[in-house]
Amino acid sequence: MPPPATDLPAAAGPPPRAHSPRRDPVLLLAIAAALLVLRVILGFHEARQQAAQPAATLSGADAVQWRTLEAGIAEARATNRPILYDFTAEWCPPCRMMQRQLFADPQAAAEIESRFVPVRVLDRQREEGRNAPWVDSLQAHYRVNSFPTLIVADADGRESSRLEGFMGREATLGQLRGPGVSLRWGMTGQLPPGGR
Amino acid sequence: MNLTLVLATLRQRFTSPIRLVILLLLGWMPMLPILIAPRAGFAALGDCYFLTLALAAGMIGQDLSSGTLQLLLARPVTRAQYVFSRWGAVAAGTFLVVVLQTLVAALIMALRGAPVPWGEAALHLGNNALIALGMAAVMALLSSLAGGLGDLGLLVLVFISAQVLEKVGQFKSWDWLVRGAGELLRVIKPELDLAPLFHGGPVAWIAVISYLSTVTLCLGLAVVVMNRRELSYASSGN
Repeated sequence: MPPPATDLPAAAGPPPRAHSPRRDPVLLLAIAAALLVLRVILGFHEARQQAAQPAATLSGADAVQWRTLEAGIAEARATNRPILYDFTAEWCPPCRMMQRQLFADPQAAAEIESRFVPVRVLDRQREEGRNAPWVDSLQAHYRVNSFPTLIVADADGRESSRLEGFMGREATLGQLRGPGVSLRWGMTGQLPPGGR
Repeated sequence: MNLTLVLATLRQRFTSPIRLVILLLLGWMPMLPILIAPRAGFAALGDCYFLTLALAAGMIGQDLSSGTLQLLLARPVTRAQYVFSRWGAVAAGTFLVVVLQTLVAALIMALRGAPVPWGEAALHLGNNALIALGMAAVMALLSSLAGGLGDLGLLVLVFISAQVLEKVGQFKSWDWLVRGAGELLRVIKPELDLAPLFHGGPVAWIAVISYLSTVTLCLGLAVVVMNRRELSYASSGN
């Protein structure tokens, strides 16, 4: 039996767009596109900022605000946050890579600052023939024999995590977020003979 | 989102014996460090990345391959509703497991006489809720592209490609390639650290934008892919 005449026009034409089961989420896609554009712009802006910073030096180019040892220990005690020691050297290429990809990145820096009290321990043995006593003392205490080495420790010097070498921003951040670990990755700069 | 679809997805996911075994393993393994060192804190539980994968794998692809999608979409349900419901169900299911895990960890800490850091627990739950929502969105997109458990294969493929590109970039000192590979890795593991909110640190807006961009883009594209799929009882589903 043929359908009633009143049903014919609706059946013949396409269904109304508002009721289509295949309606694309236009608003969601527009928001996604806007966010993507913003993400690319911010990414380029961040990259340009990093490129403008001197690549050959470790100091002054970081988004991380490094504390002095004394200030770091006092802050760690006051805030009950662990200290993140960055044992590093100017001459060490993986250290510079870590500096560019991790410590100069505002996003990574914000995460590091929120979780740790960052203290940089810069080795000057190769450039100046000797280190400041506190640098030698910390290197000896934490048995540092390659660069870069990241140590997470409490204000009393008890070590909970150790990452040696640099294997990329994400991997390093991932390890820092987790529980205590002791990892040795490739790409390290060896401490020069008699380095401590 | 369609509540019936959400509940059906949760029932489907939590009644699969293989998935339950994987969930139990992934849910209970992180309890070991808490049992050994109850003062280790909730960070020892790790994140819910693999839990989400266990619940999300094949979230759309298995319906495509088995032919159930044709039956489901014969009902007055839009394809967008279907994708959003799957996404919501996987994220909610993962979060439920994380909440249980956190409560059990807190109980172990309390029974072993260690103080329970409730602020840290809230941060752990917040961060994991965001990982669950983000990963479920990524898996929704991958699952809409591949049948069966092909979404897991696609995820591994993207991960390996990004790792290779990152190493090549590091070897050649091509910062743009390292950065691009890093973005790719961030896309397949969307996360947003809420620690600055809890500890009063600076908010990294690029992280917020990156996370929201990944989630909205993956969900939007998943719906677009599903809308363009031709489904019929005669089709192979791929």
